[in-house]
Amino acid sequence: MVSAFSVVDAPARGPARRTTGGDLPPRLPPPGGDGDGPDREPDPRRPILDNARLATLFLIVAEVMLFAGLVSGFFVLRLGAPVWPPPLEPRLPVAATAVNTLVLLASSVAMLAARRALAERDLAALARRVGVTAALGALFLTVQGFEWVRLVRFGLTVSSGAYGSTFYTLIGAHALHVLVALLWVLLTLQLIVRGRFSPDRPGMMRACAMYWHFVVLLWPVLYVTVYLL
Amino acid sequence: MLSWWLPENVATYGQDIDWLFHLIYWITGGVFVLVIVTFLTFLVLYRDRPGRRARYTHGSTPLEIAWTVVPTLILVVLTFLSVPAWSRIKMQMPPSDLDVVVTAKQFNWQVAYPGPDGRFGTADDKTMLDEMHVPVGKVIHVRLRSQDVIHSFFVPQFRIKQDAVPGREIVAWFEAVKPGKYEWPCAELCGFGHSGMRGWVYVHTAEDYAKWAAENATGAQETPKR
Amino acid sequence: MSAVSAAYVDTEHAEHHELGFLRTYVFSTDHKMIARQFLFLGLFMMILGGLLALVIRWQLAWPETAVPGLGWILTETEGILEPSTYNMAFTMHATIMIFFVVMPILAGAFGNFLIPLMIGARDMAFPFLNMLSFWVAALAGVLMLAGFFVPGGHAAAGWTSYAPLSSVTEYTGVNWGQNLWCISLFVLGISSMMGAINYITTVVNMRAPGMTLFRMPLVVWSLFITAILLLLALPVLTSGVAMLLFDRMLGTSWFRPSGGGEPLLWQHLFWYFGHPEVYILILPAMGIGSEILPVFARKPIFGYHAMAFSMIAIAFLSWIVYGHHMFVSGMNPTLGLSFMITTMIIAVPSAIKTFNWLGTLWGGRIRFTVPMLNALAFVSMFVIGGLSGIFMASTPVDIFIQDTYFIVAHIHYVVFGGSIFGAFAAIYYWFPKMFGRMTNPALGHLHFWPTFVFFNMTFFPMHILGVGGHMRRIYNPTQYEMLQPLQWWNVLITIGAIGLGLAQIPFVINFFWSLFAGRKAPVNPWNATTLEWSAPSPPPHLNWGPRLPTVHRGPYEYSVPGSSEDFLPQWEPSSAVPAGARRH
Ligand code: HEA
Ligand code: HEA
Ligand code: CUA
Ligand SMILES: [Cu+2]
Repeated sequence: MVSAFSVVDAPARGPARRTTGGDLPPRLPPPGGDGDGPDREPDPRRPILDNARLATLFLIVAEVMLFAGLVSGFFVLRLGAPVWPPPLEPRLPVAATAVNTLVLLASSVAMLAARRALAERDLAALARRVGVTAALGALFLTVQGFEWVRLVRFGLTVSSGAYGSTFYTLIGAHALHVLVALLWVLLTLQLIVRGRFSPDRPGMMRACAMYWHFVVLLWPVLYVTVYLL
Repeated sequence: MLSWWLPENVATYGQDIDWLFHLIYWITGGVFVLVIVTFLTFLVLYRDRPGRRARYTHGSTPLEIAWTVVPTLILVVLTFLSVPAWSRIKMQMPPSDLDVVVTAKQFNWQVAYPGPDGRFGTADDKTMLDEMHVPVGKVIHVRLRSQDVIHSFFVPQFRIKQDAVPGREIVAWFEAVKPGKYEWPCAELCGFGHSGMRGWVYVHTAEDYAKWAAENATGAQETPKR
Repeated sequence: MSAVSAAYVDTEHAEHHELGFLRTYVFSTDHKMIARQFLFLGLFMMILGGLLALVIRWQLAWPETAVPGLGWILTETEGILEPSTYNMAFTMHATIMIFFVVMPILAGAFGNFLIPLMIGARDMAFPFLNMLSFWVAALAGVLMLAGFFVPGGHAAAGWTSYAPLSSVTEYTGVNWGQNLWCISLFVLGISSMMGAINYITTVVNMRAPGMTLFRMPLVVWSLFITAILLLLALPVLTSGVAMLLFDRMLGTSWFRPSGGGEPLLWQHLFWYFGHPEVYILILPAMGIGSEILPVFARKPIFGYHAMAFSMIAIAFLSWIVYGHHMFVSGMNPTLGLSFMITTMIIAVPSAIKTFNWLGTLWGGRIRFTVPMLNALAFVSMFVIGGLSGIFMASTPVDIFIQDTYFIVAHIHYVVFGGSIFGAFAAIYYWFPKMFGRMTNPALGHLHFWPTFVFFNMTFFPMHILGVGGHMRRIYNPTQYEMLQPLQWWNVLITIGAIGLGLAQIPFVINFFWSLFAGRKAPVNPWNATTLEWSAPSPPPHLNWGPRLPTVHRGPYEYSVPGSSEDFLPQWEPSSAVPAGARRH
């Protein structure tokens, strides 16, 4: 999968970063060659992070900015409101969601365990633990879905003023991200189960884990912001 | 000098703004002349001619420090020179001699005077459309509101501009020093009628104003009770 | 030239050339093809955005008369603009120019083309993602253009789309136009995020041996920093347009005061994105200028490190100045003061750059080729645009000139005088590498000189109008008594704008003529030192033969004392280095 994305993603081999030819005393050209040393391909530099994980890191940075926009919007409206939560609006299910938060955090723990399985090259355990992660994530989404249905029935909708707007936009944006991350996890799981995954090329798996941890860790922030403050 | 450029200024703090404008004009003008003259000189002097070889240099630390520090100083000084005018206009408003409530809506200015009871929001408020009458030499507080979208209160000759934002009241002030009739456009895009959303501000002498106020029963002769 | 390019043999990778038409020209994953696609997208949109500008200009000079040729489209009014059509015209003019001309050309086309070639990589880190990023951008373009055909017309609330004008349909009468505007920018946000991730990863991980960070050409630095800004800024716009779209379509109250919303929230979000955005527009042009000036002055860039660090400083500072767009919006005046200070300070890195460009010219051997002329125009016009920014940075002065033509003048001096001249310079300079053919210099001069003259004739008088009190975004200036004496300026400006439009015709001819019939380009036509000039023109798939170039020195070794040639390429082996060259 990774190789389909990247041309030069070969694992780092050879000496760590060869900084310069210019600073070194001139070397003898290799016999019969006309260049300035042995062929330097494949890439002799040893990157700190492989491409897949680096890219995921930057993806997460962008997502953080997206949620920073939403959360600061939330604060502007919340601080501008005379009373918060506005009277006559249904209360948010703080306790039930707290439990649900634990579910989501547990999924992250499962993902950490999966990483250990990866390090031990135990593919069966890896598949199991990734499966648990996905299941917990799905459970979280389902519970969220039920709560939304209840809230809507109690009369909290997107169009009920700033309260409904902020709640559904922020929590919905997070739910969407969990959904996408879940699909990614399932895709990875499917690769592992079908034996198309090799622990020698863990880039995709690790990137997926990174993104999963991101959506999980984002949640407590939103929970505290939207439900508790 | 350059006064043909700016519209005539007829309000108290307008001079502060014009002074800063001219100051920046001379600073940036000076910088511009310096940069462009150097630039053109180099282009002529160092144009490619047979046998010429370019100077080999990667830079000069003292020079680079100089042209970092000097602009920084100029800009910091400019900032500090700008603070007094800003705080006079926006932060330390003088007490009001007369309040008017201006409510913007697509595409008119609604000007409200408190009526004989001297209070806003009562039945006897006097409202008029697209015209505002004020006495000369008095501090006028314009309480800006909007019914729909954002508009902007702009009277070029007073050097005043302030957006009117729905959902809040923003106070702007001015003190005109010369009687007359001044054009009062809307300066923020507010829809298809933005162009042409325009009123007039009439600045009257004290006597004229008293007469106008009495005729129109605006109750705005005295300092308003709040 | 060097062993690398001379010994070019493409054996291993030959099979890549047998991709079908679709994979080669349409769904290509080759960064150079994607670059060309972005370039064509941008140039096509530029004609559209420019024609909209001419429509605007016609209306301003001769209000409410039929615009020549527009009778075909506006059949009901026989070519006469209505106020709502005028608002739509400038909204879409700016939206198209900024999001679909400057960004695709500078960041999209040159980002894609130059980054791998100049750091010595075979392609981007994620070629497939790269292709996706182009097609998603193209989709955004289609969505944006679709807005012209929906009932109610296209978005008409300005490119800044201030809420609640933009968030409530009744206020403008525009329904799907504004929705599509939001959706298109949302989609474009996704595209630019993919592009940015790709650029950053490529620069961080895929530099050729020897290509240390401080040996990167400045244009790569500028594109790298631009990518970081894109990555951080666009998501904020995305969050804003999502809220706007929800307000319009789902009935949320983000910007609706009656529901507890806050109109100014939009402005904060928009400008928090918007100010970094304007530096996204200028930074690549600054990089391009820093690339072309040394080549045609035959001198190393003056103050390489200062050039790189000043761009980093601009990127940092651009996050804390955005409030200068909101001085009279009703924002807390104390905040206004702090934004004034930061805005003044952000001029300092630009000052450093300007003086370093002058330093580069000093003592050079300047050749006035077409790319050089455009680069010189970039430097001088950017200075004018930047200096007019200082007026606005001073809060009291901005009270008067905000929302006047002074701002319009500033905009165009920085985005046309800066970014577009930068783009022209880049196109003329890299055309040989991109398409393997030289452009025609005579036509190039015929394009440059009228463009330069008419550009100033169009935009300089706008300062005067603005200071005279001429508001921006007004349909008919003659409705105002105070503007009637100034009307002749509007006529003059419009004549200039028509000239500016006509001046682009030689460019179009030159571009297409050279594409098919231009002189074949040698490998290194300008005797430049950076890595892209070591690959064949145009570079094949994977750019170099089996052997990647190795980098031996910084990018601007011109006129090194003691060497016979007046340039010393980055890929030239070290044994050839004369004693006089500085070693990084
Ligand atoms: C490429 C785009 C670009 C660039 C680079 C800039 C650069 C700058 N801009 Fe501009 N700006 C825009 C695009 C850009 N701007 C646009 C599109 C708008 C309008 C948006 C809208 O409302 O539609 C806008 C609006 C805008 C405003 C808001 C005006 C208003 O609506 O009231 C302000 C206010 O401070 C401002 C300031 C500046 C400053 C200080 C710089 C500085 O970075 C400039 C620095 C450069 C120099 C100063 C020149 C070189 C320096 C020297 C030669 C050294 C010596 C100088 C001195 C000592 C003074 N800009
Ligand atoms: C990159 C950005 C960019 C560029 C390149 C331009 C280019 C031009 N702009 Fe624009 N402009 C903006 C960004 C830009 N503008 C922005 C951000 C605003 C603010 C919008 C707002 O208020 O919301 C604005 C607003 C704006 C206004 C103010 C509208 C108003 O406030 O009411 C005006 C008025 O004159 C104007 C004019 C022009 C002109 C004449 C050009 C010319 O340079 C165009 C010249 C180019 C061409 C004409 C195209 C080339 C044509 C061909 C190759 C085909 C052959 C030609 C012919 C057949 C004639 N622009
Ligand atoms: Cu009201 Cu513009
Ligand atoms: Cu800005």
